[in-house]
Amino acid sequence: MNTQADFAAALLDPAHPCPAGLVAWNGSDPASRFAVYRNNVVVSLVDALADTFPVTLATVGDAFFRAMAREFVFAHPPRSPLLSFHGRGFADFVAAFAPAACVPWLADLARLEMLRVEAYHAADAEPLPAAAIAALLADPGRLPGLRLRCHPSAAILRSSWAVHSLWEAHQDDRDPSAVDPCRPEAVLIVRSGFEVATVGLPHAGAAFIAALKRGEHLAAAAQAGQSVDGGFDLALAFATLLHRQMIVAIDSGPGGQDNELHT
Amino acid sequence: MSATTLHKVSAAALALALGSALSMSSALAADPPADKEKCFGVAMKGKNDCAAGPGTSCAGTSKMDHQGNAWSLVPKGTCEKTMSQTSPTGFGQMMAFKEKKS
Repeated sequence: MNTQADFAAALLDPAHPCPAGLVAWNGSDPASRFAVYRNNVVVSLVDALADTFPVTLATVGDAFFRAMAREFVFAHPPRSPLLSFHGRGFADFVAAFAPAACVPWLADLARLEMLRVEAYHAADAEPLPAAAIAALLADPGRLPGLRLRCHPSAAILRSSWAVHSLWEAHQDDRDPSAVDPCRPEAVLIVRSGFEVATVGLPHAGAAFIAALKRGEHLAAAAQAGQSVDGGFDLALAFATLLHRQMIVAIDSGPGGQDNELHT
Repeated sequence: MSATTLHKVSAAALALALGSALSMSSALAADPPADKEKCFGVAMKGKNDCAAGPGTSCAGTSKMDHQGNAWSLVPKGTCEKTMSQTSPTGFGQMMAFKEKKS
């Protein structure tokens, strides 16, 4: 046990001496063999982060990103063998990382990219057919109290920065420096089949969908949208839900009924 | 949740919006494509449990000594190319600057 703990501690701390009792197969210095192994561990974790955060990487450049990711790996080694989710704490780390402070939107860019990975791996759910949704119009009086359950992959990011425009500029090789980063933007991330869509939304529409995701009924969600923007376009917000095939269930229980509706 | 909230956005307004969204979307797209099938074992690149490629060979060893001085680097290509409304130059800078009021 002690040997294992010692080995693990030495893996993520270059200042830590080579664990005692190691022997190299060819009689070479175990310390240098261990250093190679330690390096490979860290490099592979940094590589995985680079794959998760390609736009974050492109924004700050390879050298900066890898150095930052390396610090993250030391501070937050993976707790699970699923490397897909190792980046969960990365955006918060970036936000607190002093050398990145001159790119204040970097953390939200990382947040957006992590949400895309989360959406990719989120549970499947069949969208309701449009006919089932259209049937709701037969009894409009029930609409305000209905809860629309969103696809498990759906997530909203509301940023003080133009993270959607910046991210999009990196997708089709447009010049990101043409984007004014200081414009607040809201983004919807949702998967349909195997495709993760990243959609810019009006802030009110984002508030509406965020409220649906919290399990609010339609009237309260629409109200949440209106409180962000008096000109909230509810029809457009519904159209987004339909177009992205986001509605997977309709819960009609009274307010007191407990419906588990997160993520 | 309360009855007052319910009244602010009326059932009629919701029905109207949903109705027009439905007609928009039926004009936009036909039924979802049915030509997809489930496929397991297709992991995203780099997300398998043991990374393949350069990271696993000794080729990576040369990066070993790099970490200490990394923080003297400025994010490459970012700072001075990205618009900044608070910066006196209009773009990011390599050094800290006093924010101007915009």
